[in-house]
Amino acid sequence: MLSFVILAVLLIAGSIGVVSLKQPVHAALSLVASLMTLAIVYISLEAHFLAGIQVIVYAGAIMVLFLFVIMLLNVQEQKENKFAWMKPAAYIVGALTAIGLVANILQSPTPALNAELIDTIIAGGTAEGVAQVLFNQFVLGFQLVGVLLLTGIVGATSLVQRKAEIAKIEEDLANA
Amino acid sequence: MDPWYITLIKAFLVSIALLGGFAYLTLIQRKLLGRMQHRYGPNRVGPFGLLQPIADAIKAIFKEDIVVTAADKFVYYLAPFLSISFALVAFGAIPAGPANSLFGFDPWVMDLDIGLLYVFAATSIGVYGIFLGGWASNNKYSLLGSLRSAAQMISYELGLGLSALTVILITGSLNFREIVDFNVWGMHPLLWIPLIIAFITYFISSTAEINNTPFDLPEAEQELVAGYLTEYSSIKWALYMMAEYVNLFTAAAVLSSLFLGGWRGPAFLDQVIPGISQWPLIWLLLKMAMIVFTFIWLQATLPRFRYDQVMRIGWIWLFEIALFAALLTAALIAFVV
Repeated sequence: MLSFVILAVLLIAGSIGVVSLKQPVHAALSLVASLMTLAIVYISLEAHFLAGIQVIVYAGAIMVLFLFVIMLLNVQEQKENKFAWMKPAAYIVGALTAIGLVANILQSPTPALNAELIDTIIAGGTAEGVAQVLFNQFVLGFQLVGVLLLTGIVGATSLVQRKAEIAKIEEDLANA
Repeated sequence: MDPWYITLIKAFLVSIALLGGFAYLTLIQRKLLGRMQHRYGPNRVGPFGLLQPIADAIKAIFKEDIVVTAADKFVYYLAPFLSISFALVAFGAIPAGPANSLFGFDPWVMDLDIGLLYVFAATSIGVYGIFLGGWASNNKYSLLGSLRSAAQMISYELGLGLSALTVILITGSLNFREIVDFNVWGMHPLLWIPLIIAFITYFISSTAEINNTPFDLPEAEQELVAGYLTEYSSIKWALYMMAEYVNLFTAAAVLSSLFLGGWRGPAFLDQVIPGISQWPLIWLLLKMAMIVFTFIWLQATLPRFRYDQVMRIGWIWLFEIALFAALLTAALIAFVV
């Protein structure tokens, strides 16, 4: 329980850092830190496989791409805030969401899951256990997510292709 | 399962061993490179130059520590520590002998169910060290070097993972202990074909992953000064060098555990000295030494690839060949074995 409290505080601190830090790279690093903390939460729940995948996919691949984009586009610290009028609205919406969340939790307290129940759900957290659940019970959803990702990849590729084609046409026109 | 303080002591000892190994690997590397280039290499400090690493360490500590004024201070200090700590952490899952063989203790730090994934996770975080170091230095060459490096490491992680997938499919486990225990002579002989292909692709991918020649683009000194290392001096520079050599050790240990039988010695030697193939540490260290020697040999032999060549080899050749090997393994396991 103590470890969970410490991790929760770190996780919340990391998440606040993501939205409040001015320098984009620092904000992205803060996100990496919270993703890693989440992986440690998984480890404390004995879900080692999930923790490993969390680190490899999110911290190791996706966040590196985020940082790539930030560094290559040279995003700078924002000096003047163009969306200053949004600030009070954002605070109100954020506070209302938080109140709603807390009220909801207090109203219908789900009993804390005990270790045995968690064990049966995540099947010991091993790769085999996760695979059993993923490829039997949720195989349709798994396939659909795969198709969804494929659609995204094809879409991105075709967008880049079109841009390259337009650039080529423009180049030909300039030469002609 | 050991109590936590034993694990802590073992983690400490492994870190010390890796850092000591780093110090003397620099000497061995320079001596070997010297011999391969028809010169002696360091032989002035102490007998056979054996005190050279200590002299180098003292020099690194007492050199002026230059901090770039325009650097992003926090990230600039964080980056080398990220690099070295995740390089050290990655080694923890490698077994060096059978259970209870080292003075009654298990010769590994952690027996993880997801051993192989754990090593991949630690090395994928290690990328941040190089990547952030280059950005925080606020220098064009550093940034170019670190972007190249990150692109290279992400590209070759695919080849690495797919080659390892062949081994995972055949052994049916992610745990290094179980992978080493797998009886390779009992499997279907056809499975040797994808396994040998995967060994070759894994070897090339891990050469790229640890930035060894011919994939040493991140610090191509002729074109990028020294890449991400340019603005680092003194002990922070030394931390990066440590991380690089520790990654070399880890790559060698993973390669020998996945493909070369890990801590096991050749069984026919048991007829000469009974039980010698079960001795802890010695066989793993011997195999690691062989692989590290090969890496140094490559350094003296091959010129550096161009950047477009690196990308083409990674995405067009290694990725496809490793994917083919993994698919072949899956097909063989599903239909033949």
